[in-house]
Amino acid sequence: MANNIAAQRIQREFKEVIKSDEVAKCAIRVELVNDNYTELKGEIAGPPDTPYEGGNFVLEIKVPETYPFNPPKVRFITKIWHPNISSVTGAICLDILRDQWAAAMTLRTVLLSLQALMAAAEPDDPQDAVVAKQYKDDQEMFRLTAKHWTAKYAGGPGGNPDFEMKIRRLTDMGVEEDQARVALSSYNWDLERATEQLFS
Amino acid sequence: MSVDEDDSEMDFSEDDCGYEDYYNTAEDCDVEQIDLYKTDPEYFAFECLNVEQVERLLNESVEMLSNNLQITPSLAKMLLHNHEWGCLTITAEYRRDAGRLLVTSCVKPPVPPDTSNSSSSVGMRISCPVCVSSILWDKFSSLCCGHSFCNMCWAMHFEVQITAGISTGISCMAKGCEVLAPEDFVLTLLTKPQLRDKYQQFAFKDYVKSHPQLRFCPGPNCQVVLRSKEPKAKRAICSYCKTMFCFRCGGDYHAPTDCNTIRKWLTKCADDSETANYISAHTKDCPRCHICIEKNGGCNHMQCYNCKHDFCWMCLGDWKCHGSEYYECSRYKENPNIANESAHAQAREALKKYLHYYERWENHCKSLRLEEQTLTKIKSRINIKVMNSSGTWIDWQYLMDAAALLAKCRYTLQYTYPYAYYMEPGPRKELFEYQQAQLEAEIENLSWKIERAESTDRGELENQIDIAEKRRTTLLKDFLEV
Ligand SMILES: [Zn+2]
Ligand SMILES: [Zn+2]
Ligand SMILES: [Zn+2]
Ligand SMILES: [Zn+2]
Ligand SMILES: [Zn+2]
Ligand SMILES: [Zn+2]
Repeated sequence: MANNIAAQRIQREFKEVIKSDEVAKCAIRVELVNDNYTELKGEIAGPPDTPYEGGNFVLEIKVPETYPFNPPKVRFITKIWHPNISSVTGAICLDILRDQWAAAMTLRTVLLSLQALMAAAEPDDPQDAVVAKQYKDDQEMFRLTAKHWTAKYAGGPGGNPDFEMKIRRLTDMGVEEDQARVALSSYNWDLERATEQLFS
Repeated sequence: MSVDEDDSEMDFSEDDCGYEDYYNTAEDCDVEQIDLYKTDPEYFAFECLNVEQVERLLNESVEMLSNNLQITPSLAKMLLHNHEWGCLTITAEYRRDAGRLLVTSCVKPPVPPDTSNSSSSVGMRISCPVCVSSILWDKFSSLCCGHSFCNMCWAMHFEVQITAGISTGISCMAKGCEVLAPEDFVLTLLTKPQLRDKYQQFAFKDYVKSHPQLRFCPGPNCQVVLRSKEPKAKRAICSYCKTMFCFRCGGDYHAPTDCNTIRKWLTKCADDSETANYISAHTKDCPRCHICIEKNGGCNHMQCYNCKHDFCWMCLGDWKCHGSEYYECSRYKENPNIANESAHAQAREALKKYLHYYERWENHCKSLRLEEQTLTKIKSRINIKVMNSSGTWIDWQYLMDAAALLAKCRYTLQYTYPYAYYMEPGPRKELFEYQQAQLEAEIENLSWKIERAESTDRGELENQIDIAEKRRTTLLKDFLEV
C-alpha cells in the first residue's frame, strides 16, 4: 500500500520539478533512472558567488518504500569539497534528510535545500571533519580548494596551476590522482606533509 | 480575578495533584521516620507499582489538570509529559500566558492557522498534499495548526513513526510544522490493533520516563515501576525481582560514590580495560616460598598451602603486622614531588594511581562473586553438621546472616574505591581512607572467620558482624551526600 503512494508521489513530483521555475533557470533537474520510480538522478547547479559556481553536481536519489513518510536517501555522486558533505562517499549531513523530514516535503524542497546548503555551510554540524576544520581555520584556502574540486569534478571554470603541479608531483611517485588530491586538500596543499601522510 | 481567589485556586490544585501526601509527611512526619533517616544513611522511602497502579497515578494528574484548566484530558497529558508532570508549574504558567505555554509545548502553532479557504461542500474532493490523491473532503483531518491531510496518510504516518519507536513525539506532516499529535488524535485515526497496542506501550514508557518520581525497574524483563517522592541517588530494591539500583541514575547502586563520579569511573575502567587486564589474574606467588597460589575465596587474608605463611593478597605484606597497618594497604601514597617530574613520569604516576584503585575495586568485585560460591559451600557444610546432629538449621542460621551482611559490607567497600580515586588530597581524604581501611580490616576478618566457622557458638561472630556494619554505616553517614 505504501509503495503505491511512493510511486504516485514521485510521478507527480517529477512533473512538478520539470515545470518549476528553477528548471527554467537551469538550477535543478531530476531524471528517472528506472521505470518503477525507486531511483532518480538529481542535478544541482553550483550557486552563484560560491566556489561551486559554474559546476554541475549530480546526486543519487533513492526512494524508500515508505516514501514520503520517510525521507529519500540522497548522496552526491560528483565529488565535492564541503564541510557538510563527505569528500570520500558524498554522504550528506542535512536535518531534513533525517529527523526534520516532513511528509509534505518534496524532491524539489530537498534539491533547493541542498543548493542552499552549498551556499551556506554549517561547519558546526560537519559531515567531513577535515573540510570543516579548514573551513573554520582558513577560509581562503577552503575557497581555493573547493573551486579546484569544482573545476576538476563538476566541470567548473578555471584551473589552478600550482595545485595541478603538486598533484603531478605525487602522481609521478605512483600515487593515484584522486588520492593525491584528497591528501593535498587535507593538508592545505603542503606537499611535504601530504607526501608524508601518503607514504607513512 | 482577585488575589484571594487566585490563592485558593492554587491551594486546590496543590492538594489534588498528589502533593497532599508530600506535605503531610513533611508536617506530621512521625518520630520514627525522622529517626530512620538519622540512624540509617541509606534509608529511602519508595513503593513498587504495577502497570495499572502507574496508569491510575498518571490519570489522576491528567484528570486534575484537565479539570483545573478546563482542557481536554489528551491535551492535559501532553502538557504534563512536556513539563515533568508538574501540575503546579503548568497551572501557574497557563494562567500567566496560556498562548506561550501551548506554543512552547508544541501543542499550538506559533501563528494561528489560516481558515479563509476552508469552505467545503458535500461531495467536494480535495487533493491530499502527501499522497496527491483526490479524496472526499470529509476524509481529511488536521491538528490545531490547520494542516490538512487525508486520514489514510495520517494513519500511514503514524505507522512509520511507531515502527521507528516514536509515540508521544509524533508531529504534523507539514513542512517545518512542529505541532505534536495528541493521543486521542492518533488513536482515532490508527485502526490496526497491534499498532494501537504498540503506540500505547511506547507512550506509557515515555510518560514514566518523563515523570521525576517514577523509574522502571532495570531488572531483566521486569515490569515494575518504582516510585519515590524524593528522586535521590539512593538504594532502591525492586520487590518483585529484587534488583538493587540507584534511584537517580538507574545504574548499579553506588554509595558512597555519586552518580556522575561512578559514570566517570566506569567509563574510565572500560577505556583502560586493556592496561588493567594484566593485574586481574587470579594467581599470585607466595611472597615467602614463591609457590603459585590461586585465590579461591573472597578473603584477602591468604595462607600459603605450602609454607603456611599468612599474607595479604592485595599488598603481599605479612598478615601479622597487617592489623595495625591496614591503612597502608588500602591507601594510595601519592608522590609529593610529582609536579616537578617529567610529563612521562607524570603519566606513569597517573597510571600507577589508577591501577592502585582499580585493582582494589576489581578485587572486591571478584571477592563478592567468590563469596557467593562460599555461601553454597557453607550451606552444604551446615547440612552435613545437621545430619551429624551437630546443631539444627536454626542454630546455624547465624552463619547465613553473617554471610549476607558480609556481602553488603563488601559491596559498599567496593564502591569506596572510585570515591577515593577522585577525592582531592587533604584531611577529608585522610579521614575517608582511615575509615575505609577500618571497614576493610573488619570485612577481611569476618570473611576469614565465616569461611572457617566450625561451631554453633555465634557470640564472637555476631559481635564482629555488629562492628562491621557500624563501620559501614559510619562511613556512609560521614561521606554519602544525596
Ligand atoms: Zn493523503
Ligand atoms: Zn501542522
Ligand atoms: Zn524488578
Ligand atoms: Zn546513581
Ligand atoms: Zn608459601
Ligand atoms: Zn595488604
